[in-house]
Amino acid sequence: MFDFVWLILPLLGGIALGYALQSKRKVNLDRIVLGAILVLIFALGFGIGSDTALLSSLPSVGLDAVAVAALTMGFSAVFVLILRRAVGLK
Amino acid sequence: MIKYIVFALVLGGIVGYLNNDFGSSLATVLVRDYLFNGALAALLFVMGLVFGLDRDAIGKMRRMGLKILVVPFAVASGSIAGAVVIALILKINVVATASLSAGFGWYTLAGPLAGQLLGVKWGAFAFTTNFFREMLTILTVPLAVRLDKYVPVAFGGATSMDTTLPVIVKYGGSEMLIMAFSSGFILSLIAPITIIGIASLV
Repeated sequence: MFDFVWLILPLLGGIALGYALQSKRKVNLDRIVLGAILVLIFALGFGIGSDTALLSSLPSVGLDAVAVAALTMGFSAVFVLILRRAVGLK
Repeated sequence: MIKYIVFALVLGGIVGYLNNDFGSSLATVLVRDYLFNGALAALLFVMGLVFGLDRDAIGKMRRMGLKILVVPFAVASGSIAGAVVIALILKINVVATASLSAGFGWYTLAGPLAGQLLGVKWGAFAFTTNFFREMLTILTVPLAVRLDKYVPVAFGGATSMDTTLPVIVKYGGSEMLIMAFSSGFILSLIAPITIIGIASLV
């Protein structure tokens, strides 16, 4: 997850190319994006399904873990919305 | 779109699970590492391209400036505050819960770290909690984005730089690309420090 160069290079390359092509005609990349998302999510699911240690720990701590995840996310969202208004982030 | 995503996730899970019994570990490495990273790099490239082509998105990004740093800060403090509240409700160790929630969804980091610092039980709990954060983020993006386009970024935590990024951008728009990526990046950067730092208070 933390292979930063691996992530930032394609991102910057894409931005640079898009910027260079800005005057050219519009292209619709929605289908490509959706296809790549589905491949990514499939591979993510595959990693989870093949991780027996993760799967076996889910039933025992599952409910508490969902509760902690949900409240962590909820408070994150509230804090972001409050601080965003405070600094006037559009 | 979310139904396709759930389908792909479940299908991947089933195939991955079955592969443990019948397949080879080579297939696991190929799919989990190479296919995953390849799809992610391709997505980041295409999303960068869409962002670069979008004059409005670039303009909006420029106007945000350094204010975008507020978001990961808010996510980090919100995550820890939320963990403290739920730990008090569930009557579990408050500091340990705060520590593992400071993985901000990065379960492959939080699990092993908490396991080492707090013991096996907390390691498993850290793993599943952060894993659920990622899953819940992906599944709730279509709803969360209706509340506010920043909510999915807040939900995603550290995962908004990779696994949940495409879904967030797909629903929130191209202008959220840098926002989500930078927030996830900063949270990934501080996650090891916050997990270890808070765990040391136990």
